[in-house]
Amino acid sequence: MTAPAGLAGPVSAPAGLARPALRLRVAGYAFFLPFFVVFLVAVVAPLAYAIYLSFFQERMIGGTVFAGVANYTRAIGDALFGAGLLRVALFLVVQVPVMLLIALGCALAIDSGRLRWPSMFRITIFMPYAVPAVVSALMWGYMYGDQFGLVGQIGEGLGVAVPDLLSRSWMLSSIGNMVTWEFVGYNMIILYAALRAVPGELYEAAEMDGAGAIRIAWSIKLPALRPALLVATIFSIIGSFQLFNEPNILQKLAPAVIGTSYTPNMYAYNLAFNGQQINYSATVAVVLGVVTIIVAYAVQIITARREKTL
Amino acid sequence: MKTLPSRRGVIPAGIAAALSLALAACGGGSGGGATAAPSAAAPSATAAVQDALSKPAELTFWTWVTGIEKTVARFTTKYPNIKVNVVNTGQSADQYTKLQTAIKAGSGAPDVAQIEYFALPQFALAKQVVNLADYGAAALKDKFADSAWGQVAINGGVYGVPQDTGPMAMFYRKDIFDKLKIKPPATWAEFVDAAKKIKAADSGSFITSIDPGDAGGVDSLIWQAGGAPFKTSGESSVSVKLDSDPGVKQWVGTMSTLLGEKLVDPQPGWTDEWWKGMGSGKYAVWLTGAWAPNGIINSIPKTKGKWAVAPMPQYDAAKPMNAENGGSSVAVIPQSKNIPAAVAFAQWLNSDPEAVKSLNTEAGLFPATKVLLDDPAFRDAPQEFFGGQKINQVLGDASAAVRPGWQYLPFQVYANSIFKDTVGQAIDSGGDLSAALKTWQDRISAFGTEQGFTLTSGG
Repeated sequence: MTAPAGLAGPVSAPAGLARPALRLRVAGYAFFLPFFVVFLVAVVAPLAYAIYLSFFQERMIGGTVFAGVANYTRAIGDALFGAGLLRVALFLVVQVPVMLLIALGCALAIDSGRLRWPSMFRITIFMPYAVPAVVSALMWGYMYGDQFGLVGQIGEGLGVAVPDLLSRSWMLSSIGNMVTWEFVGYNMIILYAALRAVPGELYEAAEMDGAGAIRIAWSIKLPALRPALLVATIFSIIGSFQLFNEPNILQKLAPAVIGTSYTPNMYAYNLAFNGQQINYSATVAVVLGVVTIIVAYAVQIITARREKTL
Repeated sequence: MKTLPSRRGVIPAGIAAALSLALAACGGGSGGGATAAPSAAAPSATAAVQDALSKPAELTFWTWVTGIEKTVARFTTKYPNIKVNVVNTGQSADQYTKLQTAIKAGSGAPDVAQIEYFALPQFALAKQVVNLADYGAAALKDKFADSAWGQVAINGGVYGVPQDTGPMAMFYRKDIFDKLKIKPPATWAEFVDAAKKIKAADSGSFITSIDPGDAGGVDSLIWQAGGAPFKTSGESSVSVKLDSDPGVKQWVGTMSTLLGEKLVDPQPGWTDEWWKGMGSGKYAVWLTGAWAPNGIINSIPKTKGKWAVAPMPQYDAAKPMNAENGGSSVAVIPQSKNIPAAVAFAQWLNSDPEAVKSLNTEAGLFPATKVLLDDPAFRDAPQEFFGGQKINQVLGDASAAVRPGWQYLPFQVYANSIFKDTVGQAIDSGGDLSAALKTWQDRISAFGTEQGFTLTSGG
C-alpha cells in the first residue's frame, strides 16, 4: 500500500488527535450501520443466496446435489431462454424510443409555458403510472378483445375489420402499447424535472441573441436533458428486461401466444413455481441480471463516448 | 416416514371416543387403497383421530371453494372445541405455489388444504401430505364413488379425502339444438355431424370451444377416449405415452377433424369474451365436469331454461366410457401441530351426511359420496334453470360410468403448465396435434429425467 501517512490510521497520528478522530470514526460507523445492515439483509443476502442456489440442483428423487456450472452452461444453451431474451430485446429496441420520444414531447410542451392547464396536463399523463400494473393489464386485456372488447366493438361500429390484438403477430405491440401508456408520465416527470433545473438566464441570453422557441428547445433544452434522458433510458432498459406483469396477466387471455417462457422473467417464475426448479430458476435470474447490466452499461459508455466527440 | 404417525399417535387411546365418526365402527381398517401395499393404521392413531374432536384445537384450512364456510360452520357448531380458520390463498396452481413454499420453509403451512386430484400425486410423492391410511382413513373407501377414491389412493396410501368430483357430461343449448332440429349427439361421429350443421346455420357459431391453455380439459378428453398415457410405478418410475397410447390417438383423430374444419373454436375459457360467447349462443355445447351448473347459473343467468344435460358423446356406443374433469380432495399437511384433529376435520367435512349435503347445496360442489349420489332427493330433484330436467340423474350416471385406471404424473402441475407451450400451440393454430403431443411428451420426459425419475416414453 502506498497510501499517504495521514490515511494510515490513528497509529501514525499525533497522540493528541487520536481520541477525537477515533470517536468521530466510531460515530461515522454508527450512522452508517443501520443502512449497512438493511443493505446486507435486503440487497446483498438475496443476491448471494440466488447465486448460491444457482450452483446446486434439487431433484424430486435424490435430493440436492452440487451442480458446479452445469446450470450456467444449460442456461447459455437454452433455446427457450434465448428466445425470451430476443423477444424483450426487440421490445426494448422499438418500445423504449417511442415511449421516450412521447415523454420528451410532453415534457417540452409543459415546460414551454404555452399550455393552458399545465398541471392538469401533467397529472393526467402521469396518472396511468399510479394504476397498478395488474389492474392496467386486466383493463387493457378487456379492451383488446376482438369480439366483445372495446376495440372489437369500435371496429364493429365503424364497420372495419379489427385485427385480433391478442394474436401472435400483434401481442408484442399490444404489450408495448400498454407499457407506453403506463410509463410515459413517469419518464415525462424525470425529463420535466431536468428542464426545471435549467437556469433562467440561459433562456434570457438566448432570447437576446434572437433565438426562437424551437431554437431554444434544440440548443438549450435538449442538451440539458441529456443526463436525464440517459437515466430514463437505463431505467427503461432494466424495465424491458424485467417485463413480467403485463404478459403474465394477458396469458390467461391468450395462452397459446404467451407461453411459459415468453419473457425471461416469466421463464424464471414458471421454472421456480410450476416446475419446482428453484436452482435453475435462480441461474436464469442471475444470467438475466448480468445481461441487463451489460446492456445498460454499454448504453452508458456509448453515450459518454458520443458526448466526448461532440 | 412410517414411524412419524405412530409417534404422534401415542396420545392416550384408552378414552374411547363417544363421538359419531363413522369409521369408529371399522377400527383400523385394512389398507383399502387401489394397490396392495399394507399400511393399516395403528389403532391408537385411529382412536386419536376420534378423540381429537372433543379436545380444544385450532386448525387452518386453505381452500378456494366459495360458500364452504357454511359447511365449516356446521362442523364448529357440532364440535365447538375446534376452531377452524378458512383461508383463501388463491386458486389451484396459485395455492400450490404458496403451499409448497410454506412446506419447504418449514412453517406457515395450513393444517388442512384443498388439493385437486391432478396435483395430489405430486404432493403425495414428496411426502408433503399426510398418508391418511395411517389414521384409519382407508375405512372410508366404501363411502366414496370409485372414481373419487381411485384418485386419492396413491401408491398404496390414502393422501386426501375426496371432496367433490367432476364426471364429464355434455351441457348443451337445447334451444339451438331444437331450432336446428339436431338431436344431442350420442357418439363423436354424430358430434362432428352436429358441429357441421351448427356451422352451416351460422358461420360465426361453433359447437364448442377448446382452451389451448387447459391441459386438464384435454387430459379428461383423452381419459374419456380410453387413454392412459401417464403411468407411475413405485415411487420413481414414470412412463409417458402421448405419442402411442390408443386413447390419445382416438382423441387426436376426432379433434383434428373438428379443428381442421374450424368446427371448434380454439378460445381460452372462463374469460369475459368466452362467457359472452356462451351466453350469446356462439357455443352450443360445453363438454365439462359436473360442477358446471353453478358456473352457468351464476355467470350467464339470462340463459335460464335454455340449457340441458346429456351424457358425453362416445367413441363406441356399445362400450360407454366416461372421465373425470377437475375435482378436489382435502389433504392434511405434516407440519400441522394437531394431525389427529386435522384428519378428523377433513373426514367429517367430506363424508358426514350433513356435511356432504351442505357442500352440494351451499357450496355448489358435485358430490363424491355414494350416500348423496344415490339419494333420491338428490337424483330426482328437477332443476329449474335447466327447464326442469333432473340433471343429477344424468350426472350421477356419468359418475358411475367413469373409467378406472387413469393416472396423473407425479409432476402433473408442471406438465400441465407447459401444455400451452406445446399442444396448445397446435390447437390454437390448427397445427399437427400428434407432433405437438410428441413435443409435450419430450419436454415432460426431459423434466422427469432431470428430476431423478426413471422415464419410459413412447410406445
